[in-house]
Amino acid sequence: MSGQALSGVRVLDLTHYVAGPYCTKILADYGADVIKVERPSLGDGARGMGPFPDDKPDLEGSGLFLYLNTSKKSITLNLKSAAGVGILKELVEQVDIVVENFSPRVMPGLGLDYETLKKINPTLVMVSISNFGQTGPYRDCRATDLTIWGLSGILYELGEPDREPLKMGSNVAEYVAGLYGALAALSALYYRDETGVGQHVDVSVLEGFHTMQPSMTLVFSYAGFVRKRAGIHFPWGILPCQDGYVGFYLPTQTHWESLCTLLGMPELRDKPEYETPMLREERRDEVTAIIVSWLKGKRMEDVFHAAQELRLPLTLVPNTEQTLDMPQHKARGYFVDIDHPVAGKLTYPGAPFKLDETPWQARQAPLLGEHNEEVYCRRLGYTEKQLAKLSEEGVI
Amino acid sequence: MSALPLQGVRVIDACIYWAGPMATALLADLGAEVIKIESIQRLDYLRLLGGWPTPDGYEWSAVFNGANRNKYGITLNLNHPQGKEIFKSLVEIGDIVTENFSPRVMENWGLSYEVLKEINPRLIMLSMPGFGTTGPWRNYVTFGPNVEMVSGMPTISGYPDGEPMMTGYIADPAGGLMGAVAVMVALQHRHRTGQGQHIDLAQMEAITSFMGGAIMDYAMNRRLQPRRGNRHPSMSPHGVYRCKGDDEWVTITVSSEEEWARFCDAIGNPPWPKEPRFSDTLSRYENHDDLDRLIGDWTRQHDKHEVMQIMQQAAVASAPVLSYAEVLDNPHIKERGFFEVVTRPVTGTHPYPGFPAKFSETPVTIRRPAPTLGQDNEDVLTRLLGMTEEEISQLAEEEIIGTVPQGWAYSMEADEAISRLKDIHAKGDDSKKDT
Repeated sequence: MSGQALSGVRVLDLTHYVAGPYCTKILADYGADVIKVERPSLGDGARGMGPFPDDKPDLEGSGLFLYLNTSKKSITLNLKSAAGVGILKELVEQVDIVVENFSPRVMPGLGLDYETLKKINPTLVMVSISNFGQTGPYRDCRATDLTIWGLSGILYELGEPDREPLKMGSNVAEYVAGLYGALAALSALYYRDETGVGQHVDVSVLEGFHTMQPSMTLVFSYAGFVRKRAGIHFPWGILPCQDGYVGFYLPTQTHWESLCTLLGMPELRDKPEYETPMLREERRDEVTAIIVSWLKGKRMEDVFHAAQELRLPLTLVPNTEQTLDMPQHKARGYFVDIDHPVAGKLTYPGAPFKLDETPWQARQAPLLGEHNEEVYCRRLGYTEKQLAKLSEEGVI
Repeated sequence: MSALPLQGVRVIDACIYWAGPMATALLADLGAEVIKIESIQRLDYLRLLGGWPTPDGYEWSAVFNGANRNKYGITLNLNHPQGKEIFKSLVEIGDIVTENFSPRVMENWGLSYEVLKEINPRLIMLSMPGFGTTGPWRNYVTFGPNVEMVSGMPTISGYPDGEPMMTGYIADPAGGLMGAVAVMVALQHRHRTGQGQHIDLAQMEAITSFMGGAIMDYAMNRRLQPRRGNRHPSMSPHGVYRCKGDDEWVTITVSSEEEWARFCDAIGNPPWPKEPRFSDTLSRYENHDDLDRLIGDWTRQHDKHEVMQIMQQAAVASAPVLSYAEVLDNPHIKERGFFEVVTRPVTGTHPYPGFPAKFSETPVTIRRPAPTLGQDNEDVLTRLLGMTEEEISQLAEEEIIGTVPQGWAYSMEADEAISRLKDIHAKGDDSKKDT
């Protein structure tokens, strides 16, 4: 264990759903000691969200939860009880970092605002991830991932011109916020180690997601226009072939010429009506039809390799099954099998980056309250009798 | 200048395009001294991609200028032996080297991690090619859109009756963000143990890690999740609805039965929500087309901001779909001071998106605009490497450094370029600029 990059970093994790748990998952999988605090009997709300094995809801079976909470320890604690808040403060004393993603009223409401926690642990780093940040007029507004897409500017320009704006099929805004949380935690920790000064970092999901397309507000300011929804069309494309889809992006003239070579139609290069990028864009339906008819009956892998031989930026567009099956993933060992007492052995996405000296390692997500005894008895010194009493009182 | 989290950390940044530069922009925001290395022989492609075909068009790339804030910029011809030597001298006094070429490029220059580690044994090096530094596809060519395509995300994205969709850009900044996290993880380890290391970040893998739910569904149930448009299997309604006006939209998402009741209240308790086909989340999900029609009939009578107000008063998650022009103008975003007004040579004064987190003790701001080409040649070579004026002019003479790109071909003046851009992207519609 001591061989991991973040070994020795202690994190108290008050997060739930996606953004916060993804932040602490990154820290935990690279070696931090992460204690996740969950509500007694219900736990993190993500435990109630699917996918579930055979679609049967089970607090220990949520695929989303299992993925986002690898390598953490789980304890249960009722923060709505005075005793629970007291125990939490004992835990705060023992850690380097607290991460939370409640709405901004909650922590102060529980008497657990940064100022209070700082008195308990003067060099504490606290990271708060919230949809709109800890300040501003929208601070207490409700939001889901889609709400954030809408406000970021990104949603407005995605989708077909004559249809509603369209988001991607993953909670990207929340994952991105989780990464910003990890970046904030680690940089504040670095500063603390250098100077002995801790701090509170306020991460906004909305602002974080806006940075996924940071140039269009600037384009508006430079040139005075807003890009309209245009769908995906040449020189971009995701097009069907025999066993799936391939996708390409052809930004230069050289790429266009390579495409003509790939299609076995060098004569297209000399056609005046396709001579410039602008002409090709005007005739994009024609160009696309040529490619679609060429792709018919071809296998995606064959097209991919033939294109890459020509240095053409064309790739597979795999479905999930095909993703798991890609030779590149297999060669790099990206997907990993993790066993779990309830969900069994399953294939999970693996390391998002590889460190050559201090490997990534994901251990099974914890059962609800699995580490109560370890944390309360061995770390905080409660006796088993006291633990039983706390349990009876609904504190844990 | 006030303290910054990463003050004293020096990054030698060979990244080009977008993903790598985004990683080092975040490190620069946090206070690292990032020395960005370009060349006059081969411009950073991002200057071309977002740039204009005008005399100084390579300074007008919004995406470049956003992704290179807070950095120092020098030019160095890495194909020239002396260019390589200067690079190595910088590595010697640096903490971190970053690059996002395909793996053979640094090797061909003789600047692989193995070589650089000899020069600086504590070095952390971040390599972030599309497919990673190993495996059969390592040298394949990818741009950001390709990374997104091959991540698996497009096939679960799109209108339910349509083809896979993508954003076309998200993989670059998201991969860059992952790169910055990776550097911080390695830096924490080095801080504690003195040991540097090589980070191998495949941008594809970084993006695939955002697909936990879909991959776990396949792992558990061998299910390929369908393209659901804006819908969500455990929340309904969950959609984007048309409002009063032209191309005006609002998002509404309802995540529990209590919220559904409040939603119905907020729209004036019409009779239709009481129909059995809308009685619970699953039924509403199954009848979402009808649900969308009925909700759309209501939203179309309202302004999108008004819908947000009505919904938020009822504690239902809802907000307008904002254009980028409206984002700049949004009262919440303004009050948080997210955009910072920065003056840059050539491009002038404009608002730039800042860092999406507020540090209570070490505020992070845009301290320097993105460098113009070769802007900091003299400063960096003098201050960090102790070169003399003569040595520096010698380098310029031999075109190892410079401030003017070689072979820059331009075809029009700025006004014409802007009007062409508008034709392509906005169909001449700039009405929002005036409002």
